[in-house]
Amino acid sequence: MRDVYIIGTGIHPWMGFSEKVFADFAAVAVDGALKDANVEWKKIQAIMAGIFIYGGNAGHLSGQYLESIFGETGIPVVNVYNACATGSASLRMAYNSVAAGETDTALAFGSDVSPKGFLTAKSDNAVQDRDVIRWKMGGLPNPIYWALECRKRMEKYGTTEEDLALVKVLMSEYGAKNPHARFKKTYTLEEVLNSAYVCDPLRLYEICPVSTGAAAVIITADKDLISKADKPVKINATTMGSSMYGDPTIRISALSCPSVPEAPMLSESYSASRQAYEKSGFGPEDIDVLELPDNSSWHYLVYLETCGFCKDGEADKMLRDGQTKIGAKLAVNPSGGFSSHGEALSAQALWQVIECANQLRGRCGDRQVENPKVAMAQTYGLMGNSGTTIMSL
Amino acid sequence: MENMANKVARIPNLVDWSTGEVRLMSAKCNSCGTYFFPKEHYQHRPGCSREGVEDILLPCKGKLASYTIQYYPCPAPFKTDKKITPYGIGLVEFEDEKIQVTGIITETDLKSLKIGMQMETTTLEMFTNEEKQQVVTWAFRAVK
Ligand SMILES: [Zn+2]
Repeated sequence: MRDVYIIGTGIHPWMGFSEKVFADFAAVAVDGALKDANVEWKKIQAIMAGIFIYGGNAGHLSGQYLESIFGETGIPVVNVYNACATGSASLRMAYNSVAAGETDTALAFGSDVSPKGFLTAKSDNAVQDRDVIRWKMGGLPNPIYWALECRKRMEKYGTTEEDLALVKVLMSEYGAKNPHARFKKTYTLEEVLNSAYVCDPLRLYEICPVSTGAAAVIITADKDLISKADKPVKINATTMGSSMYGDPTIRISALSCPSVPEAPMLSESYSASRQAYEKSGFGPEDIDVLELPDNSSWHYLVYLETCGFCKDGEADKMLRDGQTKIGAKLAVNPSGGFSSHGEALSAQALWQVIECANQLRGRCGDRQVENPKVAMAQTYGLMGNSGTTIMSL
Repeated sequence: MENMANKVARIPNLVDWSTGEVRLMSAKCNSCGTYFFPKEHYQHRPGCSREGVEDILLPCKGKLASYTIQYYPCPAPFKTDKKITPYGIGLVEFEDEKIQVTGIITETDLKSLKIGMQMETTTLEMFTNEEKQQVVTWAFRAVK
């Protein structure tokens, strides 16, 4: 396998509902990535597209829609869906194509327009699609799944409501400094603790909403393009994981889970991160910047443990002691995280990779981590989807 | 015993009251020992022959493994003509079957919920359909 580098990235800043279409946002992100990489469109030899699930035929063929905007060139265009880890899947396919020598330069992108109102079931066949049961019979919006796990954590490890609120305080401090973030207001601990419960113990400011956003990454093994790029970022590993039998986590969309664990919690993310450590030769102790999926304050805490940055039950202490702040040995979510952005399903994993790349390239202004060498982006998607990308200068 | 004569589950094959007790409709794989809920949520142990999957009713009692209190109405296609918000949602553990199942908690004293408490399966009336039947889902309540 050849060394593969990120040479260009582009983002359409995260925002709420928009009347504009997903392809418009995608074009902004891809334009940005082409300019950053300083490459012509014709140099792109493959497009790995994250699909936009609410976009009908167009959204399911997002790569073709994007290609026609920039000019069709006959290259392979593959469209992929892995829930909120969709961006991990598109980047991994692009990486594998380039690393294997099938192509020299490839584009991965995702673009998502927040649906008006709530995310809900997408079919009406309860035998085929458990999602129908969880909505019609279960009364189970996504945050309830996180609240059920969060309550278990509080019982088991003594996580407090202050710990959960502190995550938001920290994330809002960083989000306020990020021009790509949707939410730029800072919050005090008291303000977070005074926000309404959505599903006790999780409060309004401790769960992330859905957003609109787009992200694009251009990667290459072409020595000429690498030498011309501004601080190319090496991809040391980009992996995906699925769940393991006996994972006790109650997964979004499921109505049951095992009560006797035979695998780690969030085993899809455990698997993806361990594959990435194995392939890259880096371990948690080598990571300077970590972007983890803080869909809720519970996720922020549990992911530090799932990915091996501390032992089970120790993440709260890490947070309280300031060991996850910018300036500490490990900076966690200097972007402000999903808490400051919201989820833009097919784009968010790439956006996490871009924040890591921007940190390594020293482009992050007031939220810049000092001189980072290795960064890791970790995703989480419902029903057992996860991806890990480890990068270095 | 509750009058179940005029009740219908909104989605079939999930909850049964034909024995006089309300019980969840599970399936057990006799090869790998795993219980599934719903029945079609197959979760075989890797390498399992998948032979001998049989329908089985879960016991009517279990213990509360976790819970939350939902403060906003669940969006459609959830449907109820009763004001149930805020409502409890629990994960109830059936120990011998090694499975935890989610369900709305009918208990109205939400402050009384505690991990480890004994729960039993019940039904929750959501709305009345055109045939004047009570449309129900499965739910849990504290064992008094
Ligand atoms: Zn089996």
